[in-house]
Amino acid sequence: MKALHRCILLIFAALFAVSLFGCSGSNSLTAEEKKTSIKVIVKKRNHDYWAVVQMGAEAAGKEFNVSMNYDGPTDEKDIEGQIRMVNEAIDDKADAIVLAASDYTMLVPAAERAIDQKIPVVIIDSNIKSDRMVSFIGTDNVDAGRILGESLVEKVGENCSIGVVSFVKGAATAVEREEGFFNAIKKHPGIRVLGMEYCNSDENLAKQQTEKIINDNPGIDAIVCLNAYSTAGAARAIEGMQKTGDVKLVGFDSTPEEISYMEKGVIQSLVVQNPFKMGYLGVKYVLDALKQIPVEKNINTGSTVIDKDNMYLPENQKLVFPFTN
Amino acid sequence: MQRHSIFKKISAFLKNHLKLGSIQSIITLSFTAVTIFGMVIAGVALYSNFSQNAEKNAASSTQQIMDQVTINLEYYLKGMMEISDLMRSNMVDTADTTVKNLNDLLNVTLKIRKDIVTMAIFDDAGKIVLSDPEYLYDRNFNAAEQDWFKNSLKDPADYFVQPPHVQRMFQDKRPWVVSLCRGVTVYKDDKLVNWVTIVDMNFSVIEQLCNKVSLGRRGYIYVIDRHGNIIYHPQQQIVYAGLKEENIDNALSHREGSYFDDFQGERRIMTVKDIGYTGWRMVGVSFVDELVENQRDFNNFILYILLFVIAFGIAAALFISAKISQPIKRLEHQMNRIENGDFDIEGLEVKGEDEVKRLTKAFNLMIARIKQLMNEIIGEQEAKRRSEFKALQAQINPHFLYNTLDSIIWMNESRNYKGVTEMVAALAKFFRISISKGNEIITVGDEIEHARSYLVIQKIRYKNKFDFSIEAAPEVLGHKTLKLILQPIIENAIYHGINSIQEKGEIAISVYVEEGNIVYRVADNGYGIKPELLKGILNREPSFDHASGVGLKNVNERVKLSYGSEYGIEIQSEEEIGTTVYIKIPLNEPGDKKQ
Repeated sequence: MKALHRCILLIFAALFAVSLFGCSGSNSLTAEEKKTSIKVIVKKRNHDYWAVVQMGAEAAGKEFNVSMNYDGPTDEKDIEGQIRMVNEAIDDKADAIVLAASDYTMLVPAAERAIDQKIPVVIIDSNIKSDRMVSFIGTDNVDAGRILGESLVEKVGENCSIGVVSFVKGAATAVEREEGFFNAIKKHPGIRVLGMEYCNSDENLAKQQTEKIINDNPGIDAIVCLNAYSTAGAARAIEGMQKTGDVKLVGFDSTPEEISYMEKGVIQSLVVQNPFKMGYLGVKYVLDALKQIPVEKNINTGSTVIDKDNMYLPENQKLVFPFTN
Repeated sequence: MQRHSIFKKISAFLKNHLKLGSIQSIITLSFTAVTIFGMVIAGVALYSNFSQNAEKNAASSTQQIMDQVTINLEYYLKGMMEISDLMRSNMVDTADTTVKNLNDLLNVTLKIRKDIVTMAIFDDAGKIVLSDPEYLYDRNFNAAEQDWFKNSLKDPADYFVQPPHVQRMFQDKRPWVVSLCRGVTVYKDDKLVNWVTIVDMNFSVIEQLCNKVSLGRRGYIYVIDRHGNIIYHPQQQIVYAGLKEENIDNALSHREGSYFDDFQGERRIMTVKDIGYTGWRMVGVSFVDELVENQRDFNNFILYILLFVIAFGIAAALFISAKISQPIKRLEHQMNRIENGDFDIEGLEVKGEDEVKRLTKAFNLMIARIKQLMNEIIGEQEAKRRSEFKALQAQINPHFLYNTLDSIIWMNESRNYKGVTEMVAALAKFFRISISKGNEIITVGDEIEHARSYLVIQKIRYKNKFDFSIEAAPEVLGHKTLKLILQPIIENAIYHGINSIQEKGEIAISVYVEEGNIVYRVADNGYGIKPELLKGILNREPSFDHASGVGLKNVNERVKLSYGSEYGIEIQSEEEIGTTVYIKIPLNEPGDKKQ
């Protein structure tokens, strides 16, 4: 009799447990999981361009319900600082890293250390010399250089003399943009390059170099700049020298300062990248990699040329002025 | 090992407790069947009801939510229009002296309404007349080139809503806004001219209204205008960056209501609703997946409830059936012991349910009765054996033998050889029938012969002190009878009746059938029995008086033990006249025919 009771109780308990387990199993679908944490490290924390990258990364973080931590050195040349940030992210057990590398080679060991520890890394904007990364998401810089060259021809003409202000000699992005640009103008033998400078991504240096080029070459028609710093510096120089309209300027990116110079007529055209897309896709694809979904090795976010006349067209204003509520 | 033993236990349990046809298994099975049947019916009913209504409910609840949002949004837009109208009416009423008043209106409105970015008035040439004073007007800006300006002048009576765009009329400020513009005809230098008012709103309130509602876990609401421009989208940045697309053409082409849309590999339930005043359209997107997911959750829920209740039912059935059948089994187990002959138990313990208690009591009573009967039988058998032994013993009474042998010797000496022969022959017959191969039962004829031999011997011994006669109905001679019942009666008649009188004794024996019984009648003319003795003669202990009545009592007992209490001896006696003894035995015993 006792054995029977025990047996019944046992069956009871087992069934009850099974039902509970079943219920809790279905409940766990709605239970809060620990949020995946993504570290986004850019070249420079406080800059209009990187702020748009941040917006993209935040939008993706919100959409995919992950915690996104944005960081970057205060100075773009602080490569050591960026390396330290990558290592800190690894030590803090970030689930994945999105990195815009300040240097093509020096970030490689830190980034590969993350890969070794099974932390996927997606590189955005500026690549590094490693093929072990999940993906590179950024502008096709050769193509962007070509577009810049074509825009120069359109705005200044086939016969002109120009000065070029690039940013860091030997930097991968700079090399690629130069390649695309010079290939484009090679088709137009009337274009003469009178000076070539590297501003090391320093706006003031770019300003001084531009002033020097203009002073050295009084008949110069245009200045060509290959990134946002050199463009901003050159624009300040041209406005300061009251050469607005006389010395034309084509450049890169669309910071509010550059936009303002374009509206004033200092800058004739800008090649605009898509930093929002880089930030968004960087987070999206590094999450895919985390879920073992295959990701394309190389993703081009594209580039568009804008000028004063078309920048407020619906399709362009979305690009130039990132939407904020 | 553990597992194995548990398995063994369970299988043993099942074997013991789930025998088909047992009360326990019948209760268990029927209970289980009823539970499963009921739950399956309930489950199927719930399931089909839910399935049928799920999509309908989803669509109608989306519709309701969107109706609510639309009402709120319309209310908000109406408010904006009223602000626009307020600017307009101020200008119309007070002609061109109004700038001061309007300035105050703008100031107050902009201070209290955080969702209004800009309020401004432009003249017919596109020159700014009045604007939010906190921001510097961009001198490069020419309103006359703007779409909203041109459209507002085209039809001054109507509102013009410019979908989201970057407002560029101020320096260093490029907010994304939705513009509400309207032409206004004013007197300027005694001329009627058309000016344009503009109210720019940001997305804070629209977002608040659209974002607070949820259409499932992933569903959302977006707003488009009649040209398909996105006014509001919860992921507006992503949509503007070209990273997300909506099937806007489809949303524009459908009438108000719900439809299914397979877009980007996902099936969606789209609900569209027009918003008044603006030509905008609200689009609700919910995902069929989610509905299916909900349904799956619900199905699982039903399944688990079903399983749980069935499990509970089975467990309850097992419990109840065990509760009912267990006492019966216990009873059965104890009965088994008794069945195997173990009568020594004191009866079963009376406990458990009322029915079982009653059953146990009845069983105990029955057992007690059986025990009593058994004891009675054992006692009877013993008594029978004892009296048989005594009867036999009486036959080989040595005195009888000595006396008989003495008589033979005496006759031999007196050369009465005929007498010797007669006596020896009678003695031989007497003993042969006495023993009769150990049989208890002999024919009535033999019994009479036995009595006759005895009478012959005694007559010689008593020197013809008495005469005897034997009459037997011929039909009874072949019938069976208990042996040695007649001789003790005769012995009694001789020793206690005839022996005590002076005149010649008479012993008359007759055997006849009366009322279906055989009756032996032994009548003597002896001394008779004293009435006080007669009363107790059949119960008297032998020690009381060795000689008298022992035979009578023994015969009576043996007859009663063999045939039942209604048979036995009856004595009629009168002092000085004589005694008649009747022995009544049945004519036909059930066993007779077999033999």
